[in-house]
Amino acid sequence: MGIGDIWNLIAMQPVINTLIVLTHYLFNSFGLAIIALTLIVNGAMFPLTLKQIRASRAMQEMQPKIAELKKKYGKDKEKMAREQMRLYKESGISPAGCLLPLLIQMPIWIALFQSIMRVLAVIPENLTGLSQYLYSWPVVYSTLPLSSEFLWLDLATGDIFLALLVGGTMWVQQKMVMAPSVDPGQRTQSTLMLWMLPIMFAWLTLSFPSGLALFWVTSNIFRIGLQYFIGGWGGLVKSAPRRDTGRDKKYKQRIAEVEEAPLGGADVVPSSAQEEDLSYEESGDKRPDRGGGYPKSPRDTKPKSRRGGGRRRKRG
Amino acid sequence: MVRNRALSVGKIGLVLILLLVGLTAVGCLGIKTAPEGGSGATIADGTIFLSPVLEQAGGFGCSTPAVEGKLVAVNAENGVQRWEIPLGGSAPASGFGCAQAATPVAVYGSPVVVGELVYVAGYNGKIYALNADSGALRWVYPREGNLQPIVGGMVVALDRLYFGCSDGKVYALDAATGDMQWEFATEDKIWSTPAVDGGTLYVSSFDKKLYAISAVDGIQQWQFESEGAMASTPLVYNNMVYIGTIDRYFYAIRASDGTKQWEFQAEKWFWTRAVAFENTIYVGCFDNKVYALNALSGEKITEFDLESPIRSWPVLVEDRVIIATEAGKVYAIDTANNQIGLFADLAETIYAPLSLSEGVIYIYTQEQNLHALNAASGVRLWTQIVK
Repeated sequence: MGIGDIWNLIAMQPVINTLIVLTHYLFNSFGLAIIALTLIVNGAMFPLTLKQIRASRAMQEMQPKIAELKKKYGKDKEKMAREQMRLYKESGISPAGCLLPLLIQMPIWIALFQSIMRVLAVIPENLTGLSQYLYSWPVVYSTLPLSSEFLWLDLATGDIFLALLVGGTMWVQQKMVMAPSVDPGQRTQSTLMLWMLPIMFAWLTLSFPSGLALFWVTSNIFRIGLQYFIGGWGGLVKSAPRRDTGRDKKYKQRIAEVEEAPLGGADVVPSSAQEEDLSYEESGDKRPDRGGGYPKSPRDTKPKSRRGGGRRRKRG
Repeated sequence: MVRNRALSVGKIGLVLILLLVGLTAVGCLGIKTAPEGGSGATIADGTIFLSPVLEQAGGFGCSTPAVEGKLVAVNAENGVQRWEIPLGGSAPASGFGCAQAATPVAVYGSPVVVGELVYVAGYNGKIYALNADSGALRWVYPREGNLQPIVGGMVVALDRLYFGCSDGKVYALDAATGDMQWEFATEDKIWSTPAVDGGTLYVSSFDKKLYAISAVDGIQQWQFESEGAMASTPLVYNNMVYIGTIDRYFYAIRASDGTKQWEFQAEKWFWTRAVAFENTIYVGCFDNKVYALNALSGEKITEFDLESPIRSWPVLVEDRVIIATEAGKVYAIDTANNQIGLFADLAETIYAPLSLSEGVIYIYTQEQNLHALNAASGVRLWTQIVK
């Protein structure tokens, strides 16, 4: 059994058959089946997505500190990298926390992507090729071939409105997680990503069957909802306060602790440090000073002020 | 500072490009989105007519169609090309993605030759009538614009040309002029070739129905509804209509009134047309098997596992059924004792119907090779690239 066969067995076949069965039970509408399956998959990956969003937000919170490090060690790249890693480590953030969930989700997205393309079976080659992916469920055979009509759309061809919707929802989603940056380089990067990715995806969507665009739009809307649930409108509304969950507060607390930590000479923090930090957090006791952390900067000697004002505004 | 910013922008651009190329390449892997076509061979007066498989241009993991399709005339004796006529088409637009960017003239149905005309049905929704000697265009239908894709073949009877279309309609054209005589609407796509017998046209549709229509005026005589869409071409034999469907059933329907006589269930769906010999129906299936069924009762006489799906139409050579698998193996079933033997191993992908003429079997493969095999022995007479 080759890799292709394994991929078909564990990814393509389940997704394709589920799509067809969903179509059967959702009024023979392939469009509704795509939406339903996208929501099911997003729901199943909810914990991973949540972790990814939180990690991303925590990384954003770290940006001022990273900028400060850049200023300080900009020329010594090795030192800079070491300090950056230590900052991540001490604040309990793993850069892989952003990427790992994304990597795990990638095969699922690709399977969905390929399945939609195959199930649409626009040309004879695809319809006949579909037969090898089907389970022997009678409902699957009686439902095929699927109609590509959904609302005003032909799901087998590109659609300009859906392409704009893909771009728009992607922009909103990115804008929500984007934190304001003081570093001009960082700001340029953020702005580029904010605009380039949605534009390129919208353009790409025009070339793909709109069934795929429907999947992207549904995914984006789901994530927008999730991000709103976690942190409000975020960067979308500048003045809007962000509602933090317990986990977010924990992340922020860690970052604040690192920022407030007095300077010290220890280059490497013992691996048990994080665990101890956690236990202190949970018990509510104050963390004892071990003399580790970061070199003291003039800023560190001043009382800390919260970003966006001295006081935390209450919601509602 | 400026240099750093430029570097950052460059990095982002690179990431975006890699993301897009990766997504397109990985996502489209193995998925064809442009029709390839590739018709069966039709032989008349020593000339083979066929429409080649379209060459796929490069792309980011997706197949993109060639600019145009064509009809090729080949000498049946040695495979040397006599002439070729382009069937039009528009240049593919540039871009990533898997969408069909052009209107290529892929042809799936075998050409039909009647008198001095050769007819070709294009996936671009056009019917072409050409002079069989020179390839000169006589008429095209519709004269302006296009129908939806035509996937099945055509049949000529009563001086009319009949074909089904993806718009769900059956069209009857004057075979000499291309003027429309009548049209008949079904409720979904038609991808099969109609069968005609005694003034009645039998047409299967994706709407799960088989229709019997008067070939004269297009009036419906009866309809038979199954559980699954029908994409295969019906076989009319001894006042019965035999057809397989996507719901994995093979049906025998009385030609006079559309009453079901029997049904047979396979493991996967039927795409090819059956052949009949002395009250035995031989039909290939996507479950890799060829079934021999009693034409009267539907009882399974025997089955042959050929280890590859069967899409191509078989041919009957005297008392032997010659049938090809997608994997390129050609088998001969002796109907006297239902014994099967390997006839030829072409080791190429076979989708197109097999053709028989004057003791020679012609097979056109997706690798764009036209093979001529001795119908008695299976010995390869010649092979020519037709593209």
